[in-house]
Amino acid sequence: MRNPVLLARPVLSLLTLSLLAPVVHAQAVPNGYPAGYSATINAAKKEGKLIIYSSTDQASAQPLLDDFKKEYPFANVEYNDIGTSQLYSRFLAEAAAGTPTADVLWSSAMDLQVKLAADGYALTYASPESKNFGPESVYQNQAFGTTLEPAALIYNKRLVKASELPATHAAFAALLSGGKLTGKLATWDPEKSGVGFTLMEYDNASNKDFGAVSSGLGKAQAGLYSSTGAMLEKVTSGEALYGYNIIGSYALLRQKTVPDLGMKFWKDGTIAFQRVAIINKATKAPNTAKLFLDYLLSRRGQLVMANQSLIYSLRSDVAGKATRAVLTQQVGGTGNLRVIGVDKRLLDNLVPATRTAFLNLWRKNVKGQ
Amino acid sequence: MTTPPISQKLPAQAVRPARGPLPWGWWLLLAAVAVAVLSPLLLLLWQSFLSNPFFAPAKQVGVSAYSQVLTDPAFWRAFGNSAVLAGAMIFIAVPLGAILAFLVTKTDLPFAKVFEVLLLTPIFVSPIVLGVGFIVSLGPSGFVSGLFTQLFHLASTPWSVYTLPAIALIAGLTHVPYVFLYVSTTMKNLDASLEEAARLSGAGVWKVMTSVTLPLVRPALVYSAMLMLLLGFEIFGLPLVLGDAKGVDVITTYLYRLTAVTGVPAYGPMAVVAMILILLALLIVFMQRALTRNKGSYASLGAKGYRAQRLKLGSWRWPLAIITILYLLYAVIIPMAGVLLRSLVRSWGPGVDLLGALTTANYAAILSSPDLSRSVVNTLVVALVGGGVAVAVYLLVALGIQRAPKGASRTLDYLAGLPRAVPGLIMGLALFWLFIFVPALKPVRPTLISIALAYMVVWLPYGVRLLTAALGQVSKDLEEAARIGGATATGAFLKATLPVLKPGLIAAWLLIFMQFVREYSSAVYLLSPGTEVLGAQIVQLWGTGAVDSIAALSSLQIVIIVAVYSLATRFGVRPE
Repeated sequence: MRNPVLLARPVLSLLTLSLLAPVVHAQAVPNGYPAGYSATINAAKKEGKLIIYSSTDQASAQPLLDDFKKEYPFANVEYNDIGTSQLYSRFLAEAAAGTPTADVLWSSAMDLQVKLAADGYALTYASPESKNFGPESVYQNQAFGTTLEPAALIYNKRLVKASELPATHAAFAALLSGGKLTGKLATWDPEKSGVGFTLMEYDNASNKDFGAVSSGLGKAQAGLYSSTGAMLEKVTSGEALYGYNIIGSYALLRQKTVPDLGMKFWKDGTIAFQRVAIINKATKAPNTAKLFLDYLLSRRGQLVMANQSLIYSLRSDVAGKATRAVLTQQVGGTGNLRVIGVDKRLLDNLVPATRTAFLNLWRKNVKGQ
Repeated sequence: MTTPPISQKLPAQAVRPARGPLPWGWWLLLAAVAVAVLSPLLLLLWQSFLSNPFFAPAKQVGVSAYSQVLTDPAFWRAFGNSAVLAGAMIFIAVPLGAILAFLVTKTDLPFAKVFEVLLLTPIFVSPIVLGVGFIVSLGPSGFVSGLFTQLFHLASTPWSVYTLPAIALIAGLTHVPYVFLYVSTTMKNLDASLEEAARLSGAGVWKVMTSVTLPLVRPALVYSAMLMLLLGFEIFGLPLVLGDAKGVDVITTYLYRLTAVTGVPAYGPMAVVAMILILLALLIVFMQRALTRNKGSYASLGAKGYRAQRLKLGSWRWPLAIITILYLLYAVIIPMAGVLLRSLVRSWGPGVDLLGALTTANYAAILSSPDLSRSVVNTLVVALVGGGVAVAVYLLVALGIQRAPKGASRTLDYLAGLPRAVPGLIMGLALFWLFIFVPALKPVRPTLISIALAYMVVWLPYGVRLLTAALGQVSKDLEEAARIGGATATGAFLKATLPVLKPGLIAAWLLIFMQFVREYSSAVYLLSPGTEVLGAQIVQLWGTGAVDSIAALSSLQIVIIVAVYSLATRFGVRPE
């Protein structure tokens, strides 16, 4: 028994056991799911690689992918992090060419995702998690809202005191028109960014003061940008004092490293969109895809989002840093949170006439054209 | 070997008898280049007449996309801005680059070696990052701007980096290195006897430059001017980062406008923009041929070329060095320092304690993220191996242009001028379509080969011009001697011309390597896990706001290239 190899054996087998234990445990059907779900899990074990196209940064998604792998160790996931417009183009072309493409598409471009579903590219799936979500988050059991993406007013704490912050949209519009903020504003260019268009158009539809705010943005000669990165950089460096309608989860992530970055949600109405997931109808791994979608929607997945990825969870029964509950409190009640629904209305935004109507208003208010 | 040593001005046509490899070899080359260049362009041409994606089941053929683009005032504004940029690049970069090349290679300018290395830097830094560097250093909140306004008690800087003239100036100055490298390679290979003769008969330095050296490298000057014109219309990264703040659009950033106005990617209008730029490129190649062919090209590097003493600048020595340093400060050192600084801090701007914000976390984030660290390795592989193969291919094409029968030569010249005209984002899309719709290419697509192929096509105009310039400097005497001695055409080329060409080839490989490290837009659609490359990764990260990672990645890019360049020089790649 002096032989170290022999000594090591019982230790090793213990180790193996403890490694196997969670695996065995994970095979069980998640709480609250129908018993038939085990068939999906078993079928998924026989499937190949699951390909995901997503506009969420690999770095933000990694905790979710790791935790998904912990729950279903047999799953082989390939994660592609692609911009929203390229994601759409790439999927459409690959689907037409019949080459391998995404099994799950997870994107911030709500309109394009719903369009894919409406055009018949999405698998219809009655998720056992759907009951935990409102009707504004599920479209025809084909497109599923997964996160909450509130639009924030961000500001530079070195240059703007908390007491100077405008309390309402109307106060902000007055501040903008006051002449002190000329050249010190950053916001979306809805003519260049799809996500920017969705946000600004909905802002106009749901916020009575949008006209005043957009005219104010024009008077203050706001810089119009097509990427969140550019706007965060402008505000953290102090080149701009405020950034209007900035995606809250990205700002929250940046606050981890830049303490000078301030973020405020409106109490007279904060708009939010949802990152939408769909399953490709022609997927070769439908069961693994369902497991992943259900995982994103599950309490477990949303907890990881809220606490590790710092993406606001859509479910209300989740506790942590970036949750619906925290946000609801910050905006001053459920009524003040105006979430863009995953529904047919988004398709209207893709009709040139509707689009032009809003863009004309925008150009008139912001550019004086 | 009876030709007199000095005057070797042989017009290119005179040395084009029907020899060299068999004509069918040239036709094969022509066919291969035609397929590689024309298939994406024809696909775009077809798409430009369609109402829907070419692969959609329902589509109509028509010219609606053309009328949409051509009647859009925003397009014409963008086109005008692009023309201003291209003009600035020609009128700033070509004279400055040529003079710097002369000073560094031919005179006793102090610090010439250091200048040469520094001048390289902007070429291989992604223009997106260069733009970020300018913002961090010279923007309204920049650290140089801060020092300046404090020093002179100003409320804000008297300059801007966001207006059209500012962007044009920056574009012009940051493209000086392209011209410099191009022209200096040619100048180094010049037979110095002509300059020597001029000097001995009493000409001053300025006179030698304007009446001997510059006329001798005229083809290289024309090529660089045309390259600037092409790149001017294709430029994307700088206006993307600097143009937003004041709404300055150029053709490539106008493409974003097309997509968002319809809500879905508008392939038709995008293809129309590509067609307009292709027409422009054809015009540019036509102009370039007219400008160089009429006068013939000059073969000045032969077996007997020798190098003279460096010209003495005299009292101009230090003033010129100071002007060069000022230029380098503005176009290279300050923006590079901005990038480096950005990679080492969490945040910046007035009121930030930079020492307190110092961090190595941005680099740690890259190392801990598998896709980002993989992209560093992949980029090196594509640039080294793909770049090497590319040089061989470009050499063949350049030889074809120089030696193939007339019709084939002209066609090759035009074909080789086209790919860079199409904005990288559109070219990337067209190449992606080919990779997924052409059965033979499908297996290649998920590999790095697809990215190397895309880069090779996209940089064809640049590479072929580099090698044409190098070839144009090589005299045919040696090869003819070998032929007379009984060697075959191929054998004579390999044994006589290739050794003389070697430094030029290695210099070209270095330049291509740098372009491949930096290239971004054409790979965006081809990325998949395992085939990430730095440039495309940077574009992706820009969208979601990870400027920290971008700055760290680019600083790594700079380190990689400086390392490769120093290694290359150490092994005698660029003999003085």
